[in-house]
Amino acid sequence: MDRTRQSGSSTAWSLISFATLALFAVTLYTIFVVAPVEQQMGIVQKIFYFHVPSAYAMYIGFGVSAVGSAVYLLKRDPKWDALGVAGAEVGSLFCLIVLLTGPLWARKAWGVWWTWDPRLTTTLLAGMIFAAYLSLRSMGNAGEVEKRFAAGLALFGLVDLPLIHFSVQRWRGVHPTVITGKGGGLESEMYWALGLSFIAFTGLAVLLIWARASAERQREQTAKLRFELMHR
Amino acid sequence: MQALIAALVLGCTMLITPFAFADEQSAEPDGGSAETKEDAAEERAAQFVGVRGPEAESVPGGALMLAAYAIVWALLFLYLMRMRGLQRNTAEELERLSAEIRASGGS
Repeated sequence: MDRTRQSGSSTAWSLISFATLALFAVTLYTIFVVAPVEQQMGIVQKIFYFHVPSAYAMYIGFGVSAVGSAVYLLKRDPKWDALGVAGAEVGSLFCLIVLLTGPLWARKAWGVWWTWDPRLTTTLLAGMIFAAYLSLRSMGNAGEVEKRFAAGLALFGLVDLPLIHFSVQRWRGVHPTVITGKGGGLESEMYWALGLSFIAFTGLAVLLIWARASAERQREQTAKLRFELMHR
Repeated sequence: MQALIAALVLGCTMLITPFAFADEQSAEPDGGSAETKEDAAEERAAQFVGVRGPEAESVPGGALMLAAYAIVWALLFLYLMRMRGLQRNTAEELERLSAEIRASGGS
């Protein structure tokens, strides 16, 4: 039964990997060949096709981390803790991508690398909360108390995610709102490029979280085995 | 020694003074009026103001876009390397523990 499950899991992994790779190839073609150059900003606008899906992948990572942490607090099952760690790490990776690619766009669009716009500030805050989570977990072999405290931190970080999303609508800022309700929208080719990129980044986030959670579970089992051997 | 230094300073001052006066006199016929002096002072920077707005200078959009895409791929690559390292460490640790179990006669 376990072997069948492992085989199915391996097949799903291969399928998602292949689909994600193929999607990235098609997405890059659509971004650079099919989608037109934006009239006002020029070629720098193409950062948008990776920047926005990265932010979305960041939501996935941090969301998974919060769910994993919540279930871990309820059940104390290490596999949920591993999911919490994986989500936090992958979310932080995409948060870093967002915080580095955003200023490159902003330099051209706004004339400054950084401004304390509500969305930028709340995104930075989320990055800092989950950086604190990862710092706590990286202090040697985290014990039960550290794990529970980190889980609480992930749930605290979850509160910031809707703030990031709705900050553009609720508070005045300079961040563009082209794909939200009040935005002017995109040309159809631009929508295609963005849509494909969203799917590709979802696949990538799922793969990375999956791989990282699996590695974390193995690391935890090894640590447990070592502990048992030492006290035999 | 002190007398020598004093003489040297005095000599230098006497040598420089005529040139300094000569400069002042040659400058006067071109712009000797008080108004010209005021203009020159006004041209001098009295404050530094930071650049604001996208039109203040031309920013290379292509280079910024390339940098953004390079950052994405580089970070993803580095993260994959980190995961590879993590899995290698776990595999090594498992190998070490297996060897310990074998050595202690366990199954």
